[in-house]
Amino acid sequence: MSDAVQKNILKKLLMRTQNRSRLWAALAALCIGTTLLLLSVMIWWNFRELLYGKNQNDTLGSTFLIIGKRVTEQNMGMAGATVFTPQDIENVKHAPQVEDLGIISSNHFPVYAMMGGKLAFATDLALESVPDKFIDKMPAEWKWTPGSKDLPIIISSQFLDIYNYVFAPSQGLPQLSEGSVKSIVLNFKAGRDEQSETFLAHVVGFSDRIGSVLAPQAFIDYGNKKWGKPGLTDAPSQVILKTKDPSDAGFAAYLKQHDYNTNPENLRWSKIRAIVSVVTSATGVLALLLMGIGALVFVLFIELTIARAQNAMTLLLQIGYGPRFLGRFMIRRFLPLVLGSVVLSMMVTVICQVVVASLVVSQGLALPVLPGWPVWLALVISTGILALLVSGSVNGAIKKQ
Amino acid sequence: MQLSLSGLIPVPLREKINGYQSGIWKNSLLLDKGSSVFIQAPSGTGKTTLIHILYGLRKDYEGEVKWGDNILSSTDDETLARLRTRSISVIFQDMRLFPELTAWENIEIKLKLAHGATAHQASEWMERLGLRDKKNSLGSTLSYGEQQRVAIIRALLQPFEWLLMDEPFSHLDHANINKAAALISEVVKTNNAGMILADLDANNFFPYTKTLML
Repeated sequence: MSDAVQKNILKKLLMRTQNRSRLWAALAALCIGTTLLLLSVMIWWNFRELLYGKNQNDTLGSTFLIIGKRVTEQNMGMAGATVFTPQDIENVKHAPQVEDLGIISSNHFPVYAMMGGKLAFATDLALESVPDKFIDKMPAEWKWTPGSKDLPIIISSQFLDIYNYVFAPSQGLPQLSEGSVKSIVLNFKAGRDEQSETFLAHVVGFSDRIGSVLAPQAFIDYGNKKWGKPGLTDAPSQVILKTKDPSDAGFAAYLKQHDYNTNPENLRWSKIRAIVSVVTSATGVLALLLMGIGALVFVLFIELTIARAQNAMTLLLQIGYGPRFLGRFMIRRFLPLVLGSVVLSMMVTVICQVVVASLVVSQGLALPVLPGWPVWLALVISTGILALLVSGSVNGAIKKQ
Repeated sequence: MQLSLSGLIPVPLREKINGYQSGIWKNSLLLDKGSSVFIQAPSGTGKTTLIHILYGLRKDYEGEVKWGDNILSSTDDETLARLRTRSISVIFQDMRLFPELTAWENIEIKLKLAHGATAHQASEWMERLGLRDKKNSLGSTLSYGEQQRVAIIRALLQPFEWLLMDEPFSHLDHANINKAAALISEVVKTNNAGMILADLDANNFFPYTKTLML
């Protein structure tokens, strides 16, 4: 006699009194609860990814802020009044929410940019540099060594927007895509008189974070050393901060107290994060409740099934079937249902992530196509808990026989 | 495997037992493997209680029942299941078939578990006991006599060292008793096993090596 025959007979004895509608209701609640739980973890993680992930997305309320000392009637014109002293810098480093600080260095030497052709122009230019870790989208070509004539630069995305939407239409000039701007070569003349050098500058990237033209730190350091005006202070007038939560009241108070100014838009946007955080937590709590109810109904269903098959179960135990064998048999019947509902939940979550990842691209944001590890961890933990619940309720119900 | 009983008193029968001299209750008893024991038990003396205690279905007793090294009262469920599959078999007085299964399914459910007799043997035994045409009949539709014969075959399917029988032929006529007793003797002999049969009246179904009054 094959195992299949034995299983069929056991199924006939132990599983025949199932109330299908109750089973499907329990599974639906379980599935919805698990899906909501995974989705709330997914939302939370995506939001974290947007703010702190490798592809940091400044469009959504930056955690990076550039601060400077406010120029007032009193301090304007006073040399060195709006620069950061080493003490200021040390102080800011320890301000609430501040995780890291980068000094923004600017050029203390003349830079003259020129371009020929249809878009011909020539202008004096101010350059800045920040430590590489503060650059939002680090281009592969972001490197300069003394002696090199090729100079990579990063320009603010806002520059391109101003050109495309304001300047080009008003002058009858063609609009430019990011790709076409990257193919343009600018002639840079840096330095004074006969000591000056020329460079071929390429735009290698665009920054949402920095509102000026960035050159590699090595270039600014080289230029300042070679052509810098003696007596000009090296102290920065702006610093860039990486903050944990710029919407924090303590941080805002700190800025106000020291009269530092920043882009208030960043602070405003970050409020949304707090709202999303509350929504995510509320969804998580609701999901746990639903999952709990689903699991409870499912456990009750298991106990009811075993209670209804009580006579058969008792007789099976009497003719020599072990409780462990019967427990395993019942668990193998119930567990796939739970696993099926969890797999369905995960599939819904993966689909949602794929859809969300493709939708946010149009907003200038980047998210991974697959859910992050916390979602998978939540899946493993919830599956483990459900499996324990199922096996616990089956074994408990059999023990009562 | 030896069966040893010592000071056995079923709690619900305690007062009744105190009023007479029993060959089993309150006594110490050692039954060797291969013994054929007949327990004569007038109505109400605890015949079924004894069989259930020996089979591990009841724990409401004082004293000790020992199957080999296993003290029954402290034997865990899994060990008990193993004993019931490999060492001790039983024919219940009330047959205890699954009413929702056919006669053959009642056999099959034990066949797979016990790994004793083959399906062919089981089929042959059904034929010997006149159940060939009843294979596909539901347990609930079988007569008591037919149920009893299915229960006998089910008990013989597994390997065992002891066969416990509680009025095993109570619903059978003489012809069927002879056929069933012959089959039981044959299988008990094959297993080199012992048997304990409890019944109301003296009988000569089997050549008993020991007779006890309950």
